[in-house]
Amino acid sequence: MNEILMSVYGAVLPAAPYVIAAYALILVGLFVYVAFVVRGLKKNERDIEALEEAVARLGKAPR
Amino acid sequence: MSKAPTLGDRLAVPLLVVGAVLSAAGFVWSFTVAPLVNGAEVVPEMVAGQMVSNQLLFSQKIFYFHVPVAMCAFIALVFSFVYSILYLVKREARFDRRAQVATEVALVFAFCTMATGVPWTRFEWGVWWTWDARLTTFLILCLLLIGYFVLRAAFDGNEKRETYAAVFALVMCIDAPICMFITRMIPSSLHPVVFRTDGGLTPEMLIGMLMALFGMMAIAYGLYRLRVRQQDMAVRIEALKDQLEELR
Repeated sequence: MNEILMSVYGAVLPAAPYVIAAYALILVGLFVYVAFVVRGLKKNERDIEALEEAVARLGKAPR
Repeated sequence: MSKAPTLGDRLAVPLLVVGAVLSAAGFVWSFTVAPLVNGAEVVPEMVAGQMVSNQLLFSQKIFYFHVPVAMCAFIALVFSFVYSILYLVKREARFDRRAQVATEVALVFAFCTMATGVPWTRFEWGVWWTWDARLTTFLILCLLLIGYFVLRAAFDGNEKRETYAAVFALVMCIDAPICMFITRMIPSSLHPVVFRTDGGLTPEMLIGMLMALFGMMAIAYGLYRLRVRQQDMAVRIEALKDQLEELR
């Protein structure tokens, strides 16, 4: 390749792994947090359903 | 019956989707439309019909998400500050929960800021880390964010924990404006001043950055709302458990 062109683009290819790493880390960080929140939400929804059923059942049962 | 979802709860998922789409659009724009930034000078050469006389910096592409995630971290800290004050004034637990979630979101986005900044630092300045004013104050902010959760974990769920956490959050938020304006206070700082009147950004660059900024803000608010809903559901679970105990 032309020496001048190599110099002009000299910062592109060497920089590529760092750019890729930066964007990958953002995606991983956000994805992990989203997964954590969604998992917690689903668990809480299940727990609320089960507890409300239990309260309704015990509330109707004769003492 | 569990509490009906509020408008904010209903908007959470659509906001996340809109945020993801906008962020993706900003990403594509920044790599296809936004021009490369000039670096060191070289002997001029004709490239694709244009005279090029500088190196072209690919590493600058990190900027298009580095600045938006940093802004989201600061905005989340403002939420934390406001809810901490509201808690100290009104002593309602829901304000403490919102302050906690806002601080959590701030920590996530502060991590993303560091994660994008460090590779850029490594390429641009040749080192993984330097004790530059902006980098140092941001590291202090990250440590304070972690410290907030360490403090909360040190106490059982009671008013003392909530009060100490609120006060700590107010002190922590003092670092946010220092971090933002340090590059203006110390002109010799290595970190560039981003928001300035001479811009340095062409319209194509600005559009790409704004798409990423609004996308990330939508994602941050969507995550905040989902997490607040999760916390409110946890409170409901405790109330139901107490009710169950009384019925047994």
